[in-house]
Amino acid sequence: MKATTRYEGDVAVLVLSGRVMGGPDADAVGQRIRECLDRGSRKILVDVGEVTWVSSSGLGILIFAQARVVQAGGVMKLSRVTHRLRQIFMVTKLHQVFDSYETNEEALRSFAT
Amino acid sequence: MAEAWEPFEVRLRFPSRMEWLDLVDRVAAGIAAQLDLTQDETDAIANSVVEAGTNAIQHGHHYDARLPVDMIFEVRGDRLCVRVHDVGPGFDVAKVLSADPTSPESILAPRGRGIFIMKSLMDEVEFVMSPGSGTTAVLTKYHRAAR
Repeated sequence: MKATTRYEGDVAVLVLSGRVMGGPDADAVGQRIRECLDRGSRKILVDVGEVTWVSSSGLGILIFAQARVVQAGGVMKLSRVTHRLRQIFMVTKLHQVFDSYETNEEALRSFAT
Repeated sequence: MAEAWEPFEVRLRFPSRMEWLDLVDRVAAGIAAQLDLTQDETDAIANSVVEAGTNAIQHGHHYDARLPVDMIFEVRGDRLCVRVHDVGPGFDVAKVLSADPTSPESILAPRGRGIFIMKSLMDEVEFVMSPGSGTTAVLTKYHRAAR
């Protein structure tokens, strides 16, 4: 998995790509989230459009990331959720937990409202 | 039977390292393409097979790369059957199957969804365990005409 961060106004956009499956991926996402929070960002968008697959351990990473952001008084959203990831969200009911958007633009607009 | 798949078999043996699951994922997608499955069916198989491989590596072999995971994709007539074998001692199937990771008290848990995902996405999931010979997860998806 690769994780990079860019900033769009007051929103930190964390872009994940490749497979998300726990272990070192958890450390990488945790570190990026921490950096965003340390920088003062409280609006974090996780772009998962380039993620090939997410294991059940990878779901745990996203849940943990959201918990950290919320604990810090922030909001985390997901964008570009693939058909494959959406399928897992639906069966695990995590679509009720994650605020997800089709596009980055849509997600960024939602932070403003 | 109205429709049937031409029988074939694909066998993989790979070290217990997570990076090999990328190959597993591509093989699953390739087989689904051979069977002319829908996107939904393809994703269901790929997601489930990756979970079964993850379980074998993590829980069956505790990431010991010297231990190989055996995976057989078997297509015969009305079904695709994927067998994922590790040499681990197995687990309490009844306990795992009785857990509901979608319940309000569990939905935010970081773990415990793998088998639930397989059960939800495949038509049948079975675990065969016997002392000394390891654990085999058997995942079955039926031809849509046979469901």
